[in-house]
Amino acid sequence: MADTIRVAGDTLPGADMNASLLEVDGLRVDFTVRRKRIPAVRGASFTLDQGTTLAIVGESGSGKSVTSQAIMGILDSPPGHITGGEVRLRGVDLLQQDEETKRTVRANHIAMVFQDALSALNPLWSVGFQIGELYRVHRGTSRKDAKQKAIELLDLVGIPDAKNRIGHYPHQFSGGMRQRVMIAMALALDPEVLIADEPTTALDVTVQAQIMRLLKKIQQERNMGLILITHDLGVVADVADDVAVMYAGEIVEQASIHDTFARPAHPYTKALLRAIPRVDTVGRELEVIRGLPPNPASLPSGCPFHPRCWAVEPKKCSSEVPPFEPVADDHRSRCHFAKEVYRDER
Amino acid sequence: MGRYVIRRILQGLLTLFIVLFLLHYLMALSVQIRGNPAILFFGGERTPPPAMLAQVERLYGLDNNCYERTGDPCLVPFVERLQNYASGDFGTTLNGNRNVGELLGIYIPNTLRLFIFATLTLVVVAMVLGTWAARHRGRFIDHSVRGTTILIDSVPVFLILLAYVYMAAVPLTRWARDIWGTESFMGQVFRPNYNPDYPWTTILVPGIIVGTVGLATLTRLVRASQLENLGSDFVRTARAKGLGKMRITIVHVVRNSMIPIVTGVGYLFAFMLSGAVLTEGIMGIPGMGRMIFQAVQRQETNLVVVGLTVSAVVVVLVSLIVDLLYAALDPRIRYE
Amino acid sequence: MSELAVPKPEPEAKQASLWKDAFHTMRRRPDVIIALVILLFVFAMAAFPALFTDKSPTRCIGREARQRPDTWFRGEHPLGTDAFGCDFAATIVHGTRPTIVLALTVIVLAVLIGLVLGMLAGYYGGWLDAVISRMLDVFIVVPLLLGAILLLSLFRGRGSSGNVIETVAPAAIALTIFGWMEFCRYVRAATIETKNLDYVVAARCLGAKDRRIMFRHILPNAIIPVTAVVPTTIGAIIVTESALAVLGIGVQPPATSWGVLLSNGTQWAGGGYIYLFGLPLLLLVLTVFAFATFGDALRDALDPKLR
Repeated sequence: MADTIRVAGDTLPGADMNASLLEVDGLRVDFTVRRKRIPAVRGASFTLDQGTTLAIVGESGSGKSVTSQAIMGILDSPPGHITGGEVRLRGVDLLQQDEETKRTVRANHIAMVFQDALSALNPLWSVGFQIGELYRVHRGTSRKDAKQKAIELLDLVGIPDAKNRIGHYPHQFSGGMRQRVMIAMALALDPEVLIADEPTTALDVTVQAQIMRLLKKIQQERNMGLILITHDLGVVADVADDVAVMYAGEIVEQASIHDTFARPAHPYTKALLRAIPRVDTVGRELEVIRGLPPNPASLPSGCPFHPRCWAVEPKKCSSEVPPFEPVADDHRSRCHFAKEVYRDER
Repeated sequence: MGRYVIRRILQGLLTLFIVLFLLHYLMALSVQIRGNPAILFFGGERTPPPAMLAQVERLYGLDNNCYERTGDPCLVPFVERLQNYASGDFGTTLNGNRNVGELLGIYIPNTLRLFIFATLTLVVVAMVLGTWAARHRGRFIDHSVRGTTILIDSVPVFLILLAYVYMAAVPLTRWARDIWGTESFMGQVFRPNYNPDYPWTTILVPGIIVGTVGLATLTRLVRASQLENLGSDFVRTARAKGLGKMRITIVHVVRNSMIPIVTGVGYLFAFMLSGAVLTEGIMGIPGMGRMIFQAVQRQETNLVVVGLTVSAVVVVLVSLIVDLLYAALDPRIRYE
Repeated sequence: MSELAVPKPEPEAKQASLWKDAFHTMRRRPDVIIALVILLFVFAMAAFPALFTDKSPTRCIGREARQRPDTWFRGEHPLGTDAFGCDFAATIVHGTRPTIVLALTVIVLAVLIGLVLGMLAGYYGGWLDAVISRMLDVFIVVPLLLGAILLLSLFRGRGSSGNVIETVAPAAIALTIFGWMEFCRYVRAATIETKNLDYVVAARCLGAKDRRIMFRHILPNAIIPVTAVVPTTIGAIIVTESALAVLGIGVQPPATSWGVLLSNGTQWAGGGYIYLFGLPLLLLVLTVFAFATFGDALRDALDPKLR
């Protein structure tokens, strides 16, 4: 289906096919809570190329979900506001587009898979209706054809007996099957970018692996750009090409998956890696990261990670904000001691 | 689905049966404690000759011995009563000796008309106000909607009616008749009392007034359910699917918020029944409410019991309909 | 992993802060303050009628009958006199106590019945729950006003000697019997929910007695939804009593309630003595409105999710 011919009017006006698939540049998002502005994303930048997978990793509250919602243009506003930056799809800044264009970009170009499929699907409509809805609204397809397409999609994502399952309601599916329905829905209009926000968090471990494999397979078949948002580095290890680690609304380290695992250049990434259970650490106690993620309303001075950092140099880290600098080719870190951490074997 | 429906119907029948029995038992107790209501037939305290009393007692089914033993549930007359009800025999009135069954045939349609207007008013006004308040959550409109509906709900229906009848109805009618004439719609609609020649028109205003019962409750419910759905994950999904605002509202919000609203209307129905008693009494509408109203004033307990029986049947029926609507709206219940 | 062992918040502490938060939210709302002022005024009238009038409502002078209150709250009869020449201000003030006493009695009894039955049904389940739930179904079929009408007309007394028991109690009992269901439903639901919470299960595992679990853990949770509907229900009771009074089966003479005054006032409202109807109406509506506003705010404060 990757070579489906695109319907006229579906392509983005002004799109430059030579530009990167998706570029996020200095994205800033604030939340207004009780008349106070609280920064949730403080200048996130990354690039997603066609046919690659980027994992955005971070604890809850680090701003990773907000980033993805801002890209999709589905941020709840109020309280959220995009206060700066650009989101460029093939060179076109989506934030500057009118509401109608933004609406067509969703699902047609960028689609999203949510964490909890049970609440993300409308409980009162059959899954067939909810998938078919996309064709009927965006393509003007007839009810019957839309149903046929929905069946094909359910088949594609590996739901057995798709023909009969099409009339079933979300609560009649198991967790894993429901997540497949979500994926099918996201794929309906053949988007170039797929954002999966914690797609496996609500699932059993065995099902997690199946869903990840399915996402990877579809991403490769369709040559899509895939953004995987997760708090668990272990889950994305086999799937992602690049990793961006977020902390307190900033990207603190960005590198290829291999480099991230082999030679992390930020103490936070290193701590995250140590918290993954591994075969060679059996018998040893797993490490935990001290303390709690910072409150975005009152971030620590200097490097926001310094109160929890194990490699802290009190004076410098608590007063100066570290720059986001390369430690190697395509490997950048936001730490005063990035080079030392990088050199240090893990 | 089928099993769900059957279970609900059986449950409703059981409830109804218990209600009927309790009504009967209360009436029996009343006879046992307070003495024979047949005496009323002879106009109060005067003691009638025993032979005539016995005849009247037979006439009203009070000739069983159990009515002389305090606490006796009087099962035999209960079965007889059920049989009579089933064959359409609801007894006769003490005043005027009229067939209650025939009276019901006249009264029930009138009350139904009243309820059609009342329910429509309630649902439409609450939906509009609730949606409006939800869209302007926390702002001036939200607060004013809340304040106004609570105020309207605080004034008992019969007081609105009394105020209307004594203060507004006459001048409004006079004004309307000067412009449109007596026989026009406008000339009749503001009348302070019911006119059997205009069974729909003259019931409109009391219907609307009965419809304010529970306005605050339902508006609140509409507002809450809309807010809940607007902030739900599946509406976020719908936005991510690039659906327009209209489609999201109609397809993904309204149907989902119908469920609590249906429940609310069903729940408020019982209160509207209470509202009907005084409304019909005050406006002179010959309906179930006025029957109960007059029965209380004339101390005709049999009529009170019959009135409550009908009301119980209606309430059970309405809650059954609510349950079925529930199943129609929500597949999670349908496939239970 | 000691860092992960965050101290679990005590349920009791959580309860306390819920009430405290509710109190703080309520204190900042102007409508709540106004409602409270009205309620305070009404309660003061009920408790100390002598503060508001120095006349007796039973001292009536026939030739002073139906004086309109044209004196603007001054003079011998600030609110005029009624059809029998009794001072109307005194009548209204002294009519407050039976109204309020009746409403409070009914609400206390109804809440108690609801709490006991709801907790028993929710906690023990089984046949007890089946019986109580069936009872709920049955009573809910009969609306409050109709139920009260039924009982009061079936067991109407023949005149009364004038003490509170005979004038107010029948209406109070009738309203209680058909007024407890809502509380019972809420308590039952809250009990079932709380019963399965981890800390309650833990308490049971540690051998806590049923009674202790019910009072220490379930009651504080079950009381929240009940509290939220109490003020609104008090308003509803006052309204229902006035409806019963219009039917002539509410509070019996010689005691007067607002409902009795209203019902007496209707016959004069059309004839130019509108104050005999309007003043009790105003007082009743203000009071019910105050209860409803207070109740609405309380419900919001106790369930902040959808404020």
